[in-house]
Amino acid sequence: MSAAFAFDLLLVTLLLLAALRALTTPRLGQSLLAFVVFGLLMALAWVRLDAPDIALAEAAVGAGLSGVLLFDAWRALCGEPADEAPTAERMR
Amino acid sequence: MTEIASGALLIAGAFFYLAGTVGLLRFPDLYTRLHALAKVDNLGLGCIVVGLALQADSFAVALKLLLVWPLALVASAAIGYVIARRADALGIAPWRADHPAAPTEAASKRSDA
Amino acid sequence: MTGLELPIALFLLANLAASLWRVLRGPGDANRLLAALLFGSTGVGVLVLLAFAGERAVTPLLDVALTLALLAAITAIAFAQRAWRRATPAEGGDD
Repeated sequence: MSAAFAFDLLLVTLLLLAALRALTTPRLGQSLLAFVVFGLLMALAWVRLDAPDIALAEAAVGAGLSGVLLFDAWRALCGEPADEAPTAERMR
Repeated sequence: MTEIASGALLIAGAFFYLAGTVGLLRFPDLYTRLHALAKVDNLGLGCIVVGLALQADSFAVALKLLLVWPLALVASAAIGYVIARRADALGIAPWRADHPAAPTEAASKRSDA
Repeated sequence: MTGLELPIALFLLANLAASLWRVLRGPGDANRLLAALLFGSTGVGVLVLLAFAGERAVTPLLDVALTLALLAAITAIAFAQRAWRRATPAEGGDD
């Protein structure tokens, strides 16, 4: 098994794990973090697919800006310092 | 000669990354993990960047490669400061060897960040 | 290229796999954020290594690495400043 194949296999596994986590976790904050991690890994995947320009866009948008926007929106949704767990439950 | 130096620097960088990951997994609380993450990882990145710059084709490529490192250093310094200060403002107590779980109320009384 | 780049990139990806465990299980949102930070810095390392591993041009991948280094930091700061409110228990997990 060459290093390149092992790299791709591990990358795909991590992508699937992060995507599963982002989709199935009941709490919104964890879902957002998993989504940011998914964006980072997706940028690596685009690099492996020989598409550095898409990787640039994914690193900027997927890992960066959408993460910031989602965190901001999460804070706006959760409202004031009240405990966030019930709110997150409601937002499912 | 350049190849050997480059390979040695790459392996050293990989070792420092491993140290950072072990620190993240094994250290007891947020502040110690931050300590492991913000410094060791950037040392590993520095080793790898210098090792790769040794085998760059042109001077411009090597310079651009070496520009990645100061950016990562500044970014991780800022992140480490922001996270540690926010954690302190939220009242997360640092871990102590003598009494591991002793939340201090003084930290949460401080003004918000 | 020395042929060492891709194995070391694989090794760093294995490090990412280990810290993904911290993202999935790590007690509290703050520790998950730390692991996401590790993803950022290790991701930059992997990208820089991948830039030299293949036959393709080096500079576009360096652009990706620079962007990732900058924006991962911005995401982390946004999380710490705007979204991280409640004092999560330092230990003894919430899941």
